[in-house]
Amino acid sequence: MDWHMYPVLWCGVFGTWALVGYGLSLAGMTRAQRTVRAIGRIERVGEPRHGSSPKDGIAVVVSFQDPSTGEEFTVTNDGGPGERISVAWTGREIGVHYPRGRPHDFRFADHRSEGGRGLGWPNFALFLVYAGLVVVAAIDRGWPWALLGFCGPWALSGVYHLPGNIRDRNRRLGELAAMAAVPGRVVAVLKSVSTDDDGYTSTRLVPVVTFTTLDGRAVTAYCESGLRNPAGSQGLDVTIHYAPADLAVLTLDVEAERRSWKRDMAVNVVGVLVVAAAAVVGVVAL
Amino acid sequence: MTITTVAPPPTHRTPLALARGFLTGGVVGTSLAALVVGGIVENVPLFVTGLVLPVVYGLLFLLAGVPRRAREAAVVPCTALAMIEGLEAVGGESSDIPVRFELTVAPDDGPAYRVEITQDINLVDLSDYRPRGVVVVQYPPDRPWRVRIVKRPTPEWEGRVASARLDSAPGTARVAAPPEGRAFGFVVLLGLLLGAVVVVLPFRADLFDRNDTAKSPSAAPPSVSSTSSTTVVSSASGTVALGPGRSFLDTGELDRAVGSLTTGGDARQALTVVVQEQLLSVVFLPTGMQASGFDLRALPYDRVPALVEEATTTLGVDSPSTWQITADRLTGGVAVRVSVTGPEGTAYLEADGQGKVVRRVSAGG
Repeated sequence: MDWHMYPVLWCGVFGTWALVGYGLSLAGMTRAQRTVRAIGRIERVGEPRHGSSPKDGIAVVVSFQDPSTGEEFTVTNDGGPGERISVAWTGREIGVHYPRGRPHDFRFADHRSEGGRGLGWPNFALFLVYAGLVVVAAIDRGWPWALLGFCGPWALSGVYHLPGNIRDRNRRLGELAAMAAVPGRVVAVLKSVSTDDDGYTSTRLVPVVTFTTLDGRAVTAYCESGLRNPAGSQGLDVTIHYAPADLAVLTLDVEAERRSWKRDMAVNVVGVLVVAAAAVVGVVAL
Repeated sequence: MTITTVAPPPTHRTPLALARGFLTGGVVGTSLAALVVGGIVENVPLFVTGLVLPVVYGLLFLLAGVPRRAREAAVVPCTALAMIEGLEAVGGESSDIPVRFELTVAPDDGPAYRVEITQDINLVDLSDYRPRGVVVVQYPPDRPWRVRIVKRPTPEWEGRVASARLDSAPGTARVAAPPEGRAFGFVVLLGLLLGAVVVVLPFRADLFDRNDTAKSPSAAPPSVSSTSSTTVVSSASGTVALGPGRSFLDTGELDRAVGSLTTGGDARQALTVVVQEQLLSVVFLPTGMQASGFDLRALPYDRVPALVEEATTTLGVDSPSTWQITADRLTGGVAVRVSVTGPEGTAYLEADGQGKVVRRVSAGG
């Protein structure tokens, strides 16, 4: 049997998936399009218990209003529906998403977002179709087609997005420079212990800090980096640096954060260069 | 809500659920058997089927369950107070351990009932749950046994917990999930077996032949493969018989046949090779025998059509009925003898190991 049958089957299945997805998106029937995106307000922030699990996020009581009926709901993040709330203060606005007509089926979003058109999966399916075609070309005509097929579009996308990425990194570096510094305290260290199938036990420690902003808002936040010894950090006094424009952006070590973003920018540029070079090698070797 | 002391009828007893169980078992059996059989007989399409079938079935199963899941998700869960009758940790090595709770659930709009659930509780939070303690629970109204303890109740329910006094429900007022039923397990097993049989039966010849060959490689019985030609190979001899309409004078036919007798780079020496129109016979040199053999693959097979043509046209046999080539190495070098037989008698020519004619004997000569 001719092996080409398998890529044809591959492309057929994922092509159909992509078409169905795009069709649903055009008809406004994707999950993202049917999701109601309400704005919730944190009414109360719970005190974290030392040694408890970090997976459910900071305990919060959130109120939101269903835009279609106007009905008010008060809920908690019991069981951690949706994204984990890792920075909380009374009055913070977060996203509350739920299918139309089912506010009880809500999920929290740590940040407010407009939501898309639900094209993520169809685009992924289209990528798989493209990958199948590149593999066929590489087998039939040689490995340079694999380099060109995969690295070419990747390099073009990288070059297209590079200016935006650099602007974003620069903005974050600027944000770091404008951060306010206030005293804070590690009030608890949360612990999550898990054992894998081979019997290896891994422990994850998440310190929780509290601080009061310059304008008087009490913030509770998970702080997974910046402490040398998280296990023994309960009760430790620390200096918190936060962005006044968005209290959710905070760090204990501004310099480390700055180095991290600079390294990230360099990796971004080098990555684009490497991928572009691979694509050029593919073209030359054709 | 009506509290029942009798277990609800098994949900898996409906014909649709049984059919689904049978189909699932069938797909599992078929795909597993296809993977194993496809791997053994080296049948790529069968092996790929074994991989693709469960994926496709899983997708269809997922799609078929969409309406049911949507229906269940649309149901607004009931919230109620419950009292812990008893609790017991049932294992776990992580920080969240499974705890079995015996609860009395007291819905606002119905009588209290007993239920047993298992839920993961963090070790640090375990002290919050004590016998006779009151907690907030949620459950779907149509499945009251699927109770979940709400670890972070809303302020309204926290207030109710603080002031609640609940009585235990009698042990007879127990709600439990419907049992699965034996019929469901039986049809799954039946489907699994049938699925495996459906794959194994058509390939049983290949499977068992392979097993026989693998049992005793030293005294291997002849292996037979049957397509458009028949090949029989043993430790002593090998025979390839062509199907109707084919001839060893056809281009590449002899090379293919010799290749099938020397599979795996077998370098056994041949004692005699005889080629006829549709039959190739080889007698192998027995192992350890001190005799003059030759490499089966070294004969000038590409010269065979030309030698037969020469023998049938130049040696006085005007209408030859049969031809035969015999190759051996009895007298020093490899000798190839091409003989043709017709009404005029038998003529033959002899060639060396390179196919060069060294002697001609005409019919009647």
